[in-house]
Amino acid sequence: MKDRFLAVLSVILVISLIVPTAYGIGAEKKLRVAFIYVGPIGDYGWSHAHEMARQSLIKKLPWVEFLPPAESVPEADAVRFIDRFVREEKADVVFTTSFGYMDATIEAGKKYPDKIFFHCSGYSRAKNVGTYFAELYQVYYLNGLMAGALTKTNKVGYVGAHPIPEVIRHINAFALGVQEVNPKATVDVRWLFSWYDPSKARMAAESLISDGCDVLAFTEDSPTVVTVGEEYTKKGKPVYTFGHYSPMQKYGPNSCVSGQLVHWEVIYKDILEKIRRKVYTNTNLENVDYWWLLKEKAVELGGDFGVPVNPRFITPLKGKKILDPVFGKISVYDLVMKRLSQMKANPEKFDPFTGPIKDQTGKVRIEAGRRATHDELWNMDWFVPNVIAKIPK
Amino acid sequence: MLEKYRNLGLSFLVVILGLFGIYLVSGISPYIMLKSIIISAFGSIYGLSETLTKSIPLMLCGLGLSLSFRSSIWNIGAEGQLLMGAIGATWIALYVMPNAPKLILIPMMFIVGAICGGIWALIPAILKVKFNLNEIIVSLMLNYIAIEFVNYLIYGPWKSPYEWGFPYSTKFPISAQLPRILDTRIHYPTLILALVLAIFIYIILYKSKLGYEIRVIGDNIDAARYAGLDIRKIIILVLILSGGLAGLAGVGEVAGIHHRLRVASGISSGYGYTAVIVAWLGRLNPFLIVFVSFLFGGLLVGGDAIQVSLGLPGATINFINGLILIFVLVQSFSKIRLYSTKKGAER
Repeated sequence: MKDRFLAVLSVILVISLIVPTAYGIGAEKKLRVAFIYVGPIGDYGWSHAHEMARQSLIKKLPWVEFLPPAESVPEADAVRFIDRFVREEKADVVFTTSFGYMDATIEAGKKYPDKIFFHCSGYSRAKNVGTYFAELYQVYYLNGLMAGALTKTNKVGYVGAHPIPEVIRHINAFALGVQEVNPKATVDVRWLFSWYDPSKARMAAESLISDGCDVLAFTEDSPTVVTVGEEYTKKGKPVYTFGHYSPMQKYGPNSCVSGQLVHWEVIYKDILEKIRRKVYTNTNLENVDYWWLLKEKAVELGGDFGVPVNPRFITPLKGKKILDPVFGKISVYDLVMKRLSQMKANPEKFDPFTGPIKDQTGKVRIEAGRRATHDELWNMDWFVPNVIAKIPK
Repeated sequence: MLEKYRNLGLSFLVVILGLFGIYLVSGISPYIMLKSIIISAFGSIYGLSETLTKSIPLMLCGLGLSLSFRSSIWNIGAEGQLLMGAIGATWIALYVMPNAPKLILIPMMFIVGAICGGIWALIPAILKVKFNLNEIIVSLMLNYIAIEFVNYLIYGPWKSPYEWGFPYSTKFPISAQLPRILDTRIHYPTLILALVLAIFIYIILYKSKLGYEIRVIGDNIDAARYAGLDIRKIIILVLILSGGLAGLAGVGEVAGIHHRLRVASGISSGYGYTAVIVAWLGRLNPFLIVFVSFLFGGLLVGGDAIQVSLGLPGATINFINGLILIFVLVQSFSKIRLYSTKKGAER
């Protein structure tokens, strides 16, 4: 009896499934644009930020047909996804949004010379492959200023994804900020060797806290570190954190001081409009490399859009005063705002990587008065002296 | 018999309920979904070539696992053994004999890759026969150690000086890159190797004394002990062979596809784990495993399609894989029970 009931149930389900759902395909000739993400869209970090940008452009750029994006694409499989987008979905432009896709993107550029590719965060370019990046080091520096002011133990922690130049540069910028307001404080680092690993990120954050760190910044694609900070803060052991890539203040209303936010849509809009106007074609991208910062409005300071500093922390930051060689006696809050407006100016009136800057061994890496060049920032493989961790070699 | 039909019905019901769940959430009919998977994986030359490319590591790992599973040794470490094979190949290609001619270099990469994979599987083998440690746990944990070892190498001593500090090894010399069929990614030497090894393993398993002993141990370890078989020796041998085959898969991936060592997730998208399902779906039969690898390669390739063309979330294909696993589990449990009752009746 029970078996028969199961059999009947299966048959009914099968019939209800086979009725095919119709799906239409637009006939209008639009620029077909594809996105490939390394993480799940819901990671709330890197991939989420790219997806938010893509979605915000759907209405703004009606002449673009945004194809459904591919998420969680393993680096080993990137070539196949690009092939599929180009061959089956007839994509005209493909954005590959992880540095691990670099070889695959270059290979695809050779294979499909009449298509346009843009690779995020890489350095290899070709006639039809450009690169782009929204760079956050200036914002990390601003967060470092706040971290230096807020730490009571003089130990600041950083949960780092991979020990690659991008992350090293961000840690250095953050540490330079810490150094400026609090020369006694050190910055310790735990590496995850992964862009998205909430459980490792939690372990790393807790390990830093047990070593005495009471302020944490991070590079990882989930709000885990902010969540951990909130848990400790609520338990009466304040641990302050800085969000990364997406608005994370809501995960730590009592812990999240500020953070790095990114506006990929600014870059995507610029690229797509230039492709439409034929400024960018499949033959002239050899030297197209976006490296956009605060002044291009590609990045923003804050734990939420439009909120540069969590209001809860404005008073403590205004209470902490330091002596600045240029501004004189100034509160850290005012210093952050001053520096922010200096870096928003075009050209920048200030850059955190202005010499003299030494590395951990005491060697001068950037001479006094000089700003680091793009290549120096891009290749960075040394830590500033107040970082007490080592770069794995 | 009734038991068998009920299990079959039950596993179908699980799959159908799962697909119905996807339908409810996404509004895309499973009919369209399955059609899209099949067409994109098998419906074009390009799709077929990618399916075949994807099936190569599955074949090699699956064949290796079939040997170990047949003797009831549960090697879950094919992923790590694959990575060790990739490391061995990279070592030969970049550091031992980078200037050797192709005809010497490539066979050496395969040999050393197999040895590295074999050594990695030897660890759980020795721990099992010496200390009776559970090989499932040991081999599984060794996967993570292999991943970290790859990371150590590409962030450390093997990091290329030419890649702006990014975690890549230097690119292999041309003589260390496997030829491919036309403009596909099918690195055919590995494919031929896998097919030859399938025959070889069939002969070992069903036509040799060793194969007989493996099967006896797998079916009834007590009987094997009473018969005076050297169980320890066979466990060690089976695991070395199993790991060696996975190691070959790793050589194929770095020498045929990537041409360099890179982060572990860039070399293998979980082939070592998928191969466990492949080996079971292939009923541990080498020829069936070759066939199932091809089908499963198709499923993985087709999985991209439902994401890209139907806009389903990336996890959908994992969900379908999970359903297949449940299906296989229910089926194999029913098979084991049937098998033992039948044997009892014969006796």
